[in-house]
Amino acid sequence: MTNMEYTPVESDFVLKDNNDDISIDTNFASQNFWKEVVVRFFNKKSAVMGSILIILIAIFAVIGPSMNEFTFSNQELSQKNMAPRIPFLENFGIFDGGEEMSTTTGSKVINSYVEHGLDNLYYWFGSDMYGRDIWTRCWQGARVSLIIAVAAALIDMIIGMSYGLISGYFGGKTDMVMQRILEVCNGIPRLVIVTLLLLVLRPGMLTIIFALMLTEWVGMSRIARAEMLKLKEQEFVLASRTLGAGSFFIIFKEILPNIVGPIITQVMFSIPTAIFTEAFLSFVGLGIPVPECSLGSLISDGYNCFTTHPYQIVPPIIIMAVLMLSFNLVGDGLREAFDPKMKEM
Amino acid sequence: MKKYILKRVLTSFFTLLVIVLVLFILMQFMPGSPFNDEKLTDEQRQALYVKYGLDKPIVIQFGRYVVNMFQGDFGVSYKISKNTPISQLIQSRLPISINIGGMAVTIGALAGLIFGLIASLNRDTIWDTLATIISVIGVSVPSYVFALALSFTFGFKWQIFPMLYSTADELNSSILPSVALSMFTMASIARFTRTEMIEVLGSDYMLLAESKGISGSALILRHALRNALIPIITVLAPLIVDLMTGSLVVEKIFAIPGVGSLLVNAIQSNDYNVVIALSFIYSALYIGIMLVVDILYGIIDPRIRLGKEGE
Amino acid sequence: MKKRLLALMLAVVMTVGMTGCGGGNTAKDTQGSSKEATTTNTKGGGSTDLNVMIETGVESLDPQQATDGTSFEVIADFTDGLMQMDKDGKPIPAIAESYEVSEDGLTYTFKLRDDAKWSNGDDVTAADFVYGWQRAVDPAVASEYAYMLSDIGQVVNAADIIAGNKDKSELGVTAVDDKTLEVKLNVPVSYFLSLMYFPTFYPINQKFFEECGDKYATSADTLLSNGAFIVDEFEPAATAFHLTKNEDYYGAADVSLTGLSYQVIQDSQTALMSYQNGDLDITLVNGDQVDQVSDDEAFQSIGAGYLWYVSPNISAVKELQNKNIRLALSLAMNRETITSEVLKDGSLPTYTAIPREFASDFSKDQEQFKDFCRDDAETATELWEKGLKELGTDTVELEMIVDDDDAPKKVATVLKEQWETALKGLTVTITTEPKKQRVNDMQEGNYEIGLTRWGPDYDDPMTYLGMWITDNSNNYGLWSNSDYDAIIAECTTGDLCTELDARRDRLYDAEKIVMEDAVIFPIYTQANAEMVSPNVKGIEFHPVALNRVYKNTVKTTD
Repeated sequence: MTNMEYTPVESDFVLKDNNDDISIDTNFASQNFWKEVVVRFFNKKSAVMGSILIILIAIFAVIGPSMNEFTFSNQELSQKNMAPRIPFLENFGIFDGGEEMSTTTGSKVINSYVEHGLDNLYYWFGSDMYGRDIWTRCWQGARVSLIIAVAAALIDMIIGMSYGLISGYFGGKTDMVMQRILEVCNGIPRLVIVTLLLLVLRPGMLTIIFALMLTEWVGMSRIARAEMLKLKEQEFVLASRTLGAGSFFIIFKEILPNIVGPIITQVMFSIPTAIFTEAFLSFVGLGIPVPECSLGSLISDGYNCFTTHPYQIVPPIIIMAVLMLSFNLVGDGLREAFDPKMKEM
Repeated sequence: MKKYILKRVLTSFFTLLVIVLVLFILMQFMPGSPFNDEKLTDEQRQALYVKYGLDKPIVIQFGRYVVNMFQGDFGVSYKISKNTPISQLIQSRLPISINIGGMAVTIGALAGLIFGLIASLNRDTIWDTLATIISVIGVSVPSYVFALALSFTFGFKWQIFPMLYSTADELNSSILPSVALSMFTMASIARFTRTEMIEVLGSDYMLLAESKGISGSALILRHALRNALIPIITVLAPLIVDLMTGSLVVEKIFAIPGVGSLLVNAIQSNDYNVVIALSFIYSALYIGIMLVVDILYGIIDPRIRLGKEGE
Repeated sequence: MKKRLLALMLAVVMTVGMTGCGGGNTAKDTQGSSKEATTTNTKGGGSTDLNVMIETGVESLDPQQATDGTSFEVIADFTDGLMQMDKDGKPIPAIAESYEVSEDGLTYTFKLRDDAKWSNGDDVTAADFVYGWQRAVDPAVASEYAYMLSDIGQVVNAADIIAGNKDKSELGVTAVDDKTLEVKLNVPVSYFLSLMYFPTFYPINQKFFEECGDKYATSADTLLSNGAFIVDEFEPAATAFHLTKNEDYYGAADVSLTGLSYQVIQDSQTALMSYQNGDLDITLVNGDQVDQVSDDEAFQSIGAGYLWYVSPNISAVKELQNKNIRLALSLAMNRETITSEVLKDGSLPTYTAIPREFASDFSKDQEQFKDFCRDDAETATELWEKGLKELGTDTVELEMIVDDDDAPKKVATVLKEQWETALKGLTVTITTEPKKQRVNDMQEGNYEIGLTRWGPDYDDPMTYLGMWITDNSNNYGLWSNSDYDAIIAECTTGDLCTELDARRDRLYDAEKIVMEDAVIFPIYTQANAEMVSPNVKGIEFHPVALNRVYKNTVKTTD
C-alpha cells in the first residue's frame, strides 16, 4: 500500500523464547505412542481373544504332533477311516468311534473299533484313508500352513508396500511405467505362472512360498498406492516437503505411519489368501509333496471323502476357520489401537 | 481427461503385446510338449512339430502368431480338441463363464457391501460380530468345499437346484455355482467396506456434513460410501477378472463348460495355443477392467484426476 | 439416526432375501415341470436314452486323429469298421460281410455288405476304407496312431509312407471293386482281424470329408455316421453331447436304445450323487466311495486292461543297476494290500509283466515268477542288505515320479511307506507331476524310479513285451538284453509268426527274462469301479480298443 520499503535483516529473526516449558503441555501428559497402542489393544476384548487363539493354535502346532503315539506319516492300513474316538467323552455316546455312513442302499452305522476289537485304540480326530492319525496330521498341517502363510504375507508386505508407495508417490511417468509392469505381472493368469514355477522348481515349502509371493504382492501394492494417492495431496506432506524432506523420508517416515491401518488389514487378508492359494494348489496337485501335509492338503484330502467320511474334513476346516477369525480380530484390534481417532466416532 | 484416457488405452494395448510375448517365452519353459504321448515315435513327433510350425525359431512363431491374432485367429488346439480353431472353442465357453462370474460378482459385491455397512454402522455390537463371522467363514472355507456342500444339500438332498450345469436350464443351473463363487468376493468386500467406512465416518468432513444437517441415508450414501468406494473398487476389480474367467474347481464340481477348466486341461496337456489364447483373454479383460477402474478413480475422486493432469 | 439406518439396511437385506426365496420357488417349479415333460416324453415316445458319465472330454472325433479311449468309444458309437467286437472282444464281421485270408497269411480280402450306408445316403465302399487308411499313414496328417498300420499291422509300404519315402497311394490296400477290399501284409500277423475294429482303420467318406475341409469332425454337421448312432449335438471339447439312434443302420433292428447322452463329470462325488438322483445310468466310482456302494447290486468292477508298474532307471542310477536292490524293491511291495485296502476298485494284484485277464488269459498263472516277484517283505530285507553290501553303502535315496492323479498318488504314498518300512536305509521322495511331464521325464531318462502304466493296443502279449527291446522309446530304464531282443524279433517278423503255440511258449521265455532281471516291478492290473443302473443290461466292456459298446444295450424304464 505504501511506498515504504523494509528489508529484513538478520537480527529480526531471533527465537523469542526457547525454554522447554512451552513445549510441554501440562494438561495432557505426553505418553509413549507404542505404550498407548499396547494399552488400547489390550482393552479390546475380541483382539485379546484372537491373540490367545492364535497363540493356542501355534502352541498346538508345535507340540500337537507329539502328543500321542502316532506320527504324521506312519500308515496303518488295517486301521483306516476310523471315526473319532475320545476317552471319557465316548461314555456319553459321542466320539465313540461310531459313524453313520450313507450308502446308495441306505445308511448304516458302523464302529470300526468294535469290529476290529481295538478297545484301547483312540484316534481323537479319527484316522484317514491310510490309517494315519488326523489329530497329528492336523497340527502338523497347521504348522506348515502357518509358516507358509506368515512368510508369504511378510514378504508380500515388504515388496508390495514399497512398490505401491513409490509408484503412488512419484506419480506421472514413474507411476505409469510401474503400473504397466504390474499389469504385465498380474495380467498373466496366476495358475499359469504358479504351474510353470512348480514344474521348473522342485515342489516343496520354499517353492510354494516363492510362488505365493510372486502372485500375492500385487494386491498389497495396490492398496498402498491407493492410500498414497489419498494422502499425498494433504497438508502435512506439503509441509514436510517445504521443510526440505527427501522423497524417501516422506514416503517411509511421514506417510507410512499414516497407512499402517490399511496395510495391517491387508496383511491380515494376505494370510488367509496365502493359505487359500496353497489349498488351491493342493487341490490341483501342486501343493506340498506327500506325505507332508498342510491345512490345504488335508482339506483337499478330506474333500475326496466328504460324502463318505465327513468327519475327516471337519478338523482342518475348523482349525483354518478359527485361525482366520483370530487373524481378523487381531487385525481389527491392531488397527484401532494404531489409529485412536477411529475410536472416537 | 480425454487425452488421458486415450493415452491409457494406447499404453494398455502395448502392455497386452508385452504380455503375449512373455507368455510365448514362458511356454518355451514349459517342460514336455503336447506330443509326448508314450505311443509316439521320434519321427512322428518331428512330423507333428513341422505340421504346426513348432520347429521354427520362436521369433518367427511369435510374429506369425501376432499377425494371425489380429485377424481373430488364435491357432488350433493340439490336444484338448484336436485341430479345432481355438476361437471356436472359446466362443462357446467364454459367455458361460462370464454369465456365472457376473452373477457371482453381483451377488458377492451387493451382499458384501450390505454386510460391511451393517457392521460399520453398528460397530462393536452383535451385528458387527455377526457380519464379521459370516465374512470370515466366507474366506476360510475353500470354494470347492462350499460348492460341494451346496451341491450336496440343495442338489442332492433337497433337489431344489440341478447339480449339473445344463444349457437347457441355464438360469437355475447357474445359481449354485454363482453362490459358491460369490462367497470369497462377499467376504472380501464386507471386510473392506467395514474398514473403509469406519475410517471415513471418523473423518472431519463427515462431522461437517453431519453438522450441516444432512440426514441419514444421504449422509451415508453420498458422502461416506462414495469416499469409501475407491479402495473397494481396487479390491473388486481383480476379483471380477478372476470370476469372469472362470473358476477351475467350481466348474469341475458343477460340470460347467467354462474357460477355467479349459485352461487347466490345456496346461496339463501342454496345449500351448489354448494356454496362450486363454491367458491373453484373461489379460485383455484384466487390463480393460483396470483401465475402467483408473478412469472411475477420476470420477469418484477428482483430486486424483487433477493430480494426474497436473503432471 | 443410527437406528433408522439399521432399519433401512435390514429392509434391503430382507428384500434381497425374499427375491432369493422367490427365485428358489421358480426354480422348483421349472424343475418340476421339466421332470414332468421328461416323464410324458418317456411314456409317449418310449425314449430310452442311455445317460453315460465320462471322466474326460472327447479329444477328437476324427478316427485317424483320435488317440484316447473316450474318443474311440464315441467314434465307434457312430462308425463301423470292417470288423466289430463281440461281447468277449473277439472280432466279428461288421461292414465286412466276409473275408478270406491267403494261405501264406499275407493277403486279406474283405467283402463289404451291400446295405451299409453313410448317413448322407452314400454307400460305404471299399474306396472309403482306402481313403481312411491312406490318411492314417499320410505324413501331412501326422496321425499319432499311424504305427498301428506299420509296426503292428505290417501293411505293405506303411512304414515307408510314414517316413515320407513313398507316396501314400502305394499303401498295400486296394479297392478291387466297390465292395471288395484287398490288404497286403509284409509278414503274417496273427491278430490282424482284431485290429480291424480299431478306429484308426475306420473308413472316411472322401467326398464329405473334402466338403467339410478344416471343419471335419468339429460339429454334428461335419460328422458322418455309418454306425448304430448319429451325433446330433456336439461341440469341440463339450461337457455334454448327444447321439441318437441311426434308423438307416443295417443292424438298426437290434439296436434298442433311442440315443446316448454323454456327460463329462470330473468330480467323482458329483458323479455318484447324479447317479443316485437318476441323472446318470452308468458312472465311474472312486476308490474312496466304494464303501458307500459295495452293497449295491449296481456296483461292478470292470477290467480296464492297464498294467501299472514301477520302472527303475537301470542305466542311470548306480544303486538300481544292482539286481538284488531291484528284486528287493519288487518283493517289498505288498500288492495285495494296495489293491484291497487302498484302491478298492477291483484292481488285481499282478506278479507278471503282462496284465491279468488279457490275451486269452496269458497271465493266468500268477505264481510262475514267484521267485522274483511276490509280496515278501522278509526276503526283500535279506536281498536289500545283500545289495547294500555289494554297493558298499548303507543308505539309498530315491526319487519316485508319479502322475498327479488320484490312484497313482495313493499307490505312491503306500509304496513309499512299504519300502521304507521293509528296507532299512531307504528314503523315497515322491514327486507328483502332470502326466505329460512325467512321461517326458521318463522318455528322456530324467528320473530315478517312475510309476507308470501301459494300456494294450491289441489283443496280444507283444503289445507289452515289445516295449522292453533295446532302444524302444518306452523302455525307459534303457535295459538291454540280446537274448530277449532275439526272442522278440523271432516272434514279430521271424519264423514263429504263424506257429501260434510255439510263439506263445517263446513269449513266456521272454517274459521270464524281464521278471528275472526285475526290469519292471508290476503292481496291479487296473479295474474300474462302475455303477451300472439295474435297468440297463448288455453294455459290453472291453479292456482293449473300445472300452464300452452300446449296440446291444437295453434300457428298461419303470
